[in-house]
Amino acid sequence: MKREESLFGNIDWTLFIVFAVMVLIGIANVYSAAYNPKAPFLFDFSQKYGKQIMWVGFSTFLGLLVFLIDASIYRKFAIPIYLFCLVLLVIVLFMPPVNGARAWLGIGSMGIQPAEFAKIGTAIALASYISSINVKQQTVNTVIVANIILFIPVVLILLQPDAGTFVVFTSFLFVMYREGITYDPIVLHLVNLIPGVRFKKTWVGSHFIPILFVVIFLSIITLLMSNNTITFSFLPGIIIPGFFGVIGTLFVMSISSYFILRFFVAKRDRRRITMIVILGFVLSSLISSVVNFGFQGLRKHQKDRIELFLGLREDPDGEDYNRNRAMAAVGSGGFFGKGYSNASVASVESNHVPESETDFIFCPWAEEWGFVGSLTLTLLFMFMLFRIIQIAERQKATFNRVYAYCVAMILFYHYAVNIGMNIGFAPVIGIPLPFFSYGGSSMMSFSVMIYILLKLDSQRGDFLG
Amino acid sequence: MNNDSRRYVIIVFFLLVGAIYTVRLFYMQVIDESWTLRAQQIAEKRKQITPPRGVIFDRSGRKIVANKTYFNLMMVEAKIKNFDTIAFAKLIGWTPEKVKSRFWEIKLGEGKYKNPATGKTTSNYQKIRAYPFVKEIELDEMLNMAPYLKNFPGFYEEITSMRSYPFANGANILGYLSEVNGDEIKKDHFYSPGDNIGRAGLERFYEEELRGIKGIHYIVTSALNNAIEAYAGGKYDTMARQGPPLKLGVDITLQAYGEKLMKNKRGCIVAIEPKTGEILAMVSAPSFDPNLFVGKKSIAKNYPKLLQDPKMPLYPRPLSAEYPPGSTFKLIQGLVALQEGVITPGTGFPCKKSMVGCHNHPNAGSLAEAVQYSCNPYFYHIVRRVIQQGKRKKQTEDAEIGLRKWVKYMHSFGFGEKLETDIIGIRSGLIPDVKYYDKWYGHHNWAFSTIRSNSIGQGEVKATPLQLANLACILANRGWYYTPHFVKSIGKKGPLAIYRKKKYTMVNHRHYESVVEGMRRVVNEKGGTGSGARIKDIVVCGKTGTVQNPHGEDHSVFIAFAPMYKPKIAIAVFIENAGFGGTWAAPVSNLMMEKYLLKKITDKEKEEKMLKANLD
Repeated sequence: MKREESLFGNIDWTLFIVFAVMVLIGIANVYSAAYNPKAPFLFDFSQKYGKQIMWVGFSTFLGLLVFLIDASIYRKFAIPIYLFCLVLLVIVLFMPPVNGARAWLGIGSMGIQPAEFAKIGTAIALASYISSINVKQQTVNTVIVANIILFIPVVLILLQPDAGTFVVFTSFLFVMYREGITYDPIVLHLVNLIPGVRFKKTWVGSHFIPILFVVIFLSIITLLMSNNTITFSFLPGIIIPGFFGVIGTLFVMSISSYFILRFFVAKRDRRRITMIVILGFVLSSLISSVVNFGFQGLRKHQKDRIELFLGLREDPDGEDYNRNRAMAAVGSGGFFGKGYSNASVASVESNHVPESETDFIFCPWAEEWGFVGSLTLTLLFMFMLFRIIQIAERQKATFNRVYAYCVAMILFYHYAVNIGMNIGFAPVIGIPLPFFSYGGSSMMSFSVMIYILLKLDSQRGDFLG
Repeated sequence: MNNDSRRYVIIVFFLLVGAIYTVRLFYMQVIDESWTLRAQQIAEKRKQITPPRGVIFDRSGRKIVANKTYFNLMMVEAKIKNFDTIAFAKLIGWTPEKVKSRFWEIKLGEGKYKNPATGKTTSNYQKIRAYPFVKEIELDEMLNMAPYLKNFPGFYEEITSMRSYPFANGANILGYLSEVNGDEIKKDHFYSPGDNIGRAGLERFYEEELRGIKGIHYIVTSALNNAIEAYAGGKYDTMARQGPPLKLGVDITLQAYGEKLMKNKRGCIVAIEPKTGEILAMVSAPSFDPNLFVGKKSIAKNYPKLLQDPKMPLYPRPLSAEYPPGSTFKLIQGLVALQEGVITPGTGFPCKKSMVGCHNHPNAGSLAEAVQYSCNPYFYHIVRRVIQQGKRKKQTEDAEIGLRKWVKYMHSFGFGEKLETDIIGIRSGLIPDVKYYDKWYGHHNWAFSTIRSNSIGQGEVKATPLQLANLACILANRGWYYTPHFVKSIGKKGPLAIYRKKKYTMVNHRHYESVVEGMRRVVNEKGGTGSGARIKDIVVCGKTGTVQNPHGEDHSVFIAFAPMYKPKIAIAVFIENAGFGGTWAAPVSNLMMEKYLLKKITDKEKEEKMLKANLD
């Protein structure tokens, strides 16, 4: 067949190139962050940059394997793969704890983190399940089964405990939302218990997931900003309360998202989009206001508790140590940055930002390349995410589409939470920045995730179901 | 909304987060500068530059406290390569074990920091920082070492300074330096570990002047510890400034001569310039060489030795030793009696030994004669008249009123109170007051007869040698004094304000002449008790004292000033357990005054005798 001759012929080169560029930039960044003057050689395998290259090599090898194996294997063996991941998650609970969590399988630096690979397993299982049912007739049962697929690895991960990966697993809820598996049946069930009420569909139940996340996201940002004031060095004397900053930003967002959406949306939908944007702005402003004034109205000790949880406390040498230093590293980058290998706060050697080669890898990048670098990184991620969505939407097989959405959401979560930690928008939960953070497990799992997607996409022609 | 269009919800989500993050990053990185400052705060390194301490000159501009350079051998662990422990140990003259243990001492001594967020513990010790490996290396030792240091990368010498004393005298005045302790660092942020602080004497009293101002340079460093830039453009940098030099009133040759005279004796000499209150010399015998207390090593070696010496060389006798003033105290009693109008200069009393013993001498027909003969009964009589003025019928009530007034007089002469001299260790002596005797005997249970010993400087009264020297000053000035002080000028600013204020006693200056005349007779007339203090062509006024004490032989005391008119020096000499005042203290005063006034000694025989005397 034709397919045999062009093993790499149907690959989506756009996605692959973005992926490759990010991996290469990632290596350069680790080399700068973890540079050891005693071992300047890039391929020195005793150093973190040498090891990172080794992991990339490993990942490429795994990628080749993925390409040699027919894509149908994932659907066929979805359940064994999923179970294998679960078994690993169970075994890891009996390993000695490292830094307070039983997350590592293996010895010392050569260990792997099963939780990273469980993401792929869960994505495949979820894709397999959703492709096997008719979502148009979703029932309480289908919702529950889909949630159980999610629930088991989540519980095992929480036992480690690994709060970061737990948060990432909630990304699957969005995939389920996209595929129409919502909590609507459950909500309907409950609502219809009320005598005289007979709904076929509730708006809240259908859009429960995004609404919930918008509320959480907005609340956190509002809380983080509510005690701040915004000043401008070029506009002395002007002090804007943080809350108005949030509202202002929302307004700018709405306007710009409207214009961006005009390009994506068919003409007949434009009115609807306008309505949605206006409604979205009004509602989010409302949520933000409620949270802000509600928070201001709280008693002192209640406020304290929330502030402690969010790491809002002005305690740069205590609770808020890591984030304060990470923010200082990012914030001191300026427009063009301090230059390659000139990070003064974020370098591993100076030890000012703990974990600056893994979870806080964005620090050296943002410090050395400034806003230009931050913007480039954001654009790369956005481009990759949109490309994956595009790929997802062109799949004929439900399995492929669901899997692609899983990849997009996982990557998005990692990006959002990881960068959020660095800019004070998220509590410090340790999750890596895909393709940038040093570490074998994350490098391999993200790469394999992309390779499987590329493979599935390259075979989208021999569609079956 | 069908499932396919739900993709827009997700796209909007992505865009929303991407856009918000971009705005936030732009604000943090480009607009808001506070993070830049915070980053510099985190990454800055303070480079402290400690200036050498202010130097000290004597009254004629001779440097008596100087700074000597010495070296610290610094270590930067990150730069150490191919380290040969045995060769290094040989170079610095240690054993290899000591080199190793010193390394761990530095490393562990820095303590640890526990990051509360990650729970990880990191050491404060940093491989890229410099730590002093060997401290206080002398120049010649360093010269031997320096050529070989290049074989030991990571080690280098750093120049710093330490005190040195060109004259081996005045240790009791100058004090010494030693390393600050933890409490001091906590109390005063000026200090950091390894800094020196004044421990006694002038070094301690003038610590804030002498230490100067530290220079602090803030540098932001990159990962490789290369300086990138000055923190905040050098806005917060300060230049190091050496403390101002102190100019003392002390004459170092006189001080040295005094210490020589007092060899093998215990006691003290305090000499003051009456016109200014500047202390010319303050000998505390036995004395020691201030160079013994330079540097950590020698302090550790010498301090315990001197501390345990039974002769107590570290005890600041002129300031802290409270002796009964003996007969020198009679001078003030005469003055007070005149001021109170209970006698006139011509009042005489027969020397009846019924009340108190006295030596054989003609009856004193005047106050001057009484001083000349140091007649004990005379002073009993006049002090009784001061205390018992007959204002109340009852003796005891009358004595209470009298003593109250008398105590005030004594205070005005600087007795019973701490003089505010610029040194550490001053004590107040004792002038017993009404409260004191009430406690001792009960209210209205005492009268003059109970406390009469005070009138001849025995009994309860106590005074320090410094107070007696000050008394000599008051007599020389006929009624006033400047608080005795060492520092004539801090830099170019002159002395502290309190030393520019003239203090007057409660006795009018016209009453002084007859007492001073008495003092002249003590030295210069036949029958005077202090003829040993006579100087040819210069009229010396003095008063002997022979102080009974429970520690054995009487203390030999002499106070004097000279010349009689326009006096240039006032002096008090105490020699413990030496006997009669005229025999020892008077000649020593004489030699000191000659040395100061004439710059030579006329009576070599006397000098020889005093130098040889061993009264220990």
